[in-house]
Amino acid sequence: MPDALSSRLNAALATLDPLRVAGAVVFIAAWQLLTLLLPPIILPTPLGVAKRLLSDFWSAPSLSYYGVEEANLYANLIYTAENVAIAVVIGSVIGIMAGLLSARFNLVRVVIDPIIMTAGTVPILIAAPFLLIWFGVGRASAVCLVMFYVIVILYIFAQRAATNLDPVYEDSARTFGATPRRMVWDILVPATVPEILGGLRIALAGAWGLEAIAELLGSQSGIGKVLEVLAGATDPQGIMATLLLLGLTAMIVDAGAAFVVARTAKWSAPAR
Amino acid sequence: MNAPNTSRMIELVHVNRSFKRADGQAVQAVEDVSVAIREGEFVCLVGPSGCGKTTVLQMVAGLLPPTSGEIAVAGHEIAGPGRDRGMVFQKDSVFPWKRVIDNVEYGLKCRDVPAAQRREIAQTYLERVGLAHVAKAWPRELSGGMLKRVAIATVFANGSQVLMLDEPFSALDYVTRHQLQSVLLDLWEEGGSTARRTVLFVTHDVDEALALADRILVFHSGRLIDDLAVTATRPRTTDSLLMPEMVAIKHKLLAHLGLEKPTAPLKVARS
Repeated sequence: MPDALSSRLNAALATLDPLRVAGAVVFIAAWQLLTLLLPPIILPTPLGVAKRLLSDFWSAPSLSYYGVEEANLYANLIYTAENVAIAVVIGSVIGIMAGLLSARFNLVRVVIDPIIMTAGTVPILIAAPFLLIWFGVGRASAVCLVMFYVIVILYIFAQRAATNLDPVYEDSARTFGATPRRMVWDILVPATVPEILGGLRIALAGAWGLEAIAELLGSQSGIGKVLEVLAGATDPQGIMATLLLLGLTAMIVDAGAAFVVARTAKWSAPAR
Repeated sequence: MNAPNTSRMIELVHVNRSFKRADGQAVQAVEDVSVAIREGEFVCLVGPSGCGKTTVLQMVAGLLPPTSGEIAVAGHEIAGPGRDRGMVFQKDSVFPWKRVIDNVEYGLKCRDVPAAQRREIAQTYLERVGLAHVAKAWPRELSGGMLKRVAIATVFANGSQVLMLDEPFSALDYVTRHQLQSVLLDLWEEGGSTARRTVLFVTHDVDEALALADRILVFHSGRLIDDLAVTATRPRTTDSLLMPEMVAIKHKLLAHLGLEKPTAPLKVARS
């Protein structure tokens, strides 16, 4: 498969693009220069942050002192990632199904559209206090908040993808005698998958931030809880190391999602 | 209409179809159309745009129910789309998410034909339309003319008795259009005159209708206004279109389309 090989080579070259690396180099250089002007309590050095990340990853005893259940970044990252995964899986199933149904059945659309549109215009974060009252401090309230967000995003993406699908494909399938089940699995789902997965990537990117904020507002574990504790301890180096870890994780997960999107939508225009 | 009467493959009896426009006004798209089409006949539906020819085709396909009247295919009144009627759409209807060969197989897959058998049938028809070399390609990698070939191979592979084509070649260039006309005729004539499928072909191109049809139905403002037999022998050549009776039909068609005064054709035909 020379095709697959060349596209893989191109992808490898793209990640090694000198301009991309140049951006990061300039940013770190500027950061390093600023540390010469500002005290470490305001702006820690890049190297210090990186070292802190490596040391805190497996063991950060000071965290237990402040009441975090697991005294390392690793376990808290897992906790956050689990919540994101649960929320994204449940939220996307609900959002995609509701979105596709709403595009084909007017009754569904009339009922769900106003709810989603209201939820979409109001910042979802303001639901956090309610959720904390209902579910208390813990997994459930954070997962619920992120799930709402994912549902809204994927509902809109799935609905738009199904609405924009040219009716000629479904008409054509009907003339072949396709059953309603085939119409969904052979036509509607594959035709809308690329656009829906694009929405999933957007939802995923936002989910990390929302989950961290939800934990910041009320939780015993997670990256958000760590950030809250470190902020209370006035530890900018620890905060930046934790943020760096969260950012890197989100980037890796997004790269994985992008890879899956490119694989499942081989038929559409070559991904860039 | 109790016993299937195969000599009358498609029968429309007092068929009407009206639409409600966005402003609430009703539009009569098809008005009191009655016509019987014999098995194996190649019928072209001709008329200016908005004359109802596509609506008639969609009703026979079962994609659109008539407001009133009856449509029967092979002696049975139709209720929705069916595998006995295949359709090639004006727009590209080849599924972009399936490879070419899987597209050609799709109708057979819907009939639960075993995988090996349907692959063989699909392969055969891809060869017949000259696309065996792109069986594994994605539709986006094909030109517009190639996509039409795929669509034609798909409906023929599906083995429908009735084929409907809605201005299939209108977006193609002159050369490609003529190539595809002969591809279509070759497939139509493949089994000899007894195995021919019944074809409904919508076009606004008068020369295309003359080159393809046994019979031309002319529509205007939703009504069937003329029914012309095209008797020229097949295969038709450039010269066939210059024969006096063909020229006479062409003048009649041009008059119906409002491109010529109705008196002109008679003089030319008799000279």
